[in-house]
Amino acid sequence: MMDTYTFYQNMKRDGIIFSFTGPTSQSVVESIGELLRRKMELEETKMSVSLKVFSIFVEQMQNVLNYSAETESTKSPGNDELHYGMVTVGKKDGKYFILSGNYIEKQNTARFQSLLDRLLTMSKDELKTLYLEQRRKEPEKSSKGAGLGLIETARKASHLEYVIVEADKDRNFITINAVI
Amino acid sequence: MENLIIEATKSAPSIILNAETRIFVISGESYPENAAKFYKPVIDWINNFFDQQSSEPVTVNITLHYFNSSSSKVLMDIFDILDTAHSNGTPVTVNWRHHAENDTAFECGEEFKEEIEQIDFNIVEFLDEEP
Repeated sequence: MMDTYTFYQNMKRDGIIFSFTGPTSQSVVESIGELLRRKMELEETKMSVSLKVFSIFVEQMQNVLNYSAETESTKSPGNDELHYGMVTVGKKDGKYFILSGNYIEKQNTARFQSLLDRLLTMSKDELKTLYLEQRRKEPEKSSKGAGLGLIETARKASHLEYVIVEADKDRNFITINAVI
Repeated sequence: MENLIIEATKSAPSIILNAETRIFVISGESYPENAAKFYKPVIDWINNFFDQQSSEPVTVNITLHYFNSSSSKVLMDIFDILDTAHSNGTPVTVNWRHHAENDTAFECGEEFKEEIEQIDFNIVEFLDEEP
């Protein structure tokens, strides 16, 4: 049997508060979000900080929920697919971080990459301008309005980084780390 | 015209659009799974409302503790409709209410205000827990 003690200790050592891996749903976003808020309240986190953490958590989690390229069809009507991914929230050296990972289609990789590269070089004022501009635009057909969530994450984070690795023939895996 | 009332959930706000008093209230949290879908009946109702011939003033009270980026997009659409109604002769006042400690909600209000041309947009601070 696998011993989870070392695994658990390593997570603790890395400051991880919780880590979710698996199929996501709106109710998971809501319930983990609520716990996260309660945890930050207990720690008497400033409202401005806890709102930033919550905001990035929701954007990243809903990103996985809407765009992850790892899916499983369900039979229930209306809820056609489950989307898999992972979202981890932790606190290290006094700073909260939100780490998320999911598969993306190879054909969408360039779009993610160019947007993220652009966001990484932008100042907070430039990010604000881009956010307001994108908010007024009609969503692109294939993107379901993605992009705005990433811009929002970049605006709220004090540090943002990402890495994309090749996963298989059709997909890559993207990891985004946002530090508050 | 019938009023539109939607009860709040964990991730969607309470919505009360009153055709008689001409007061619209949106309050709570807004991060539904699909914001465009959630707000569709709201936008349809507001569009129908302004199709009725009346130029009596309208008041919109919004208290959102948190909203996600896709809700933000829909709110912008709603403000655009209100802006058009205002230029067509129906005075619209928006009261954007935020908790004194919620700087984020305050800044979001400012950002909407910058984007709006016609309507009176007030940013109102409150202190206690009441919405």
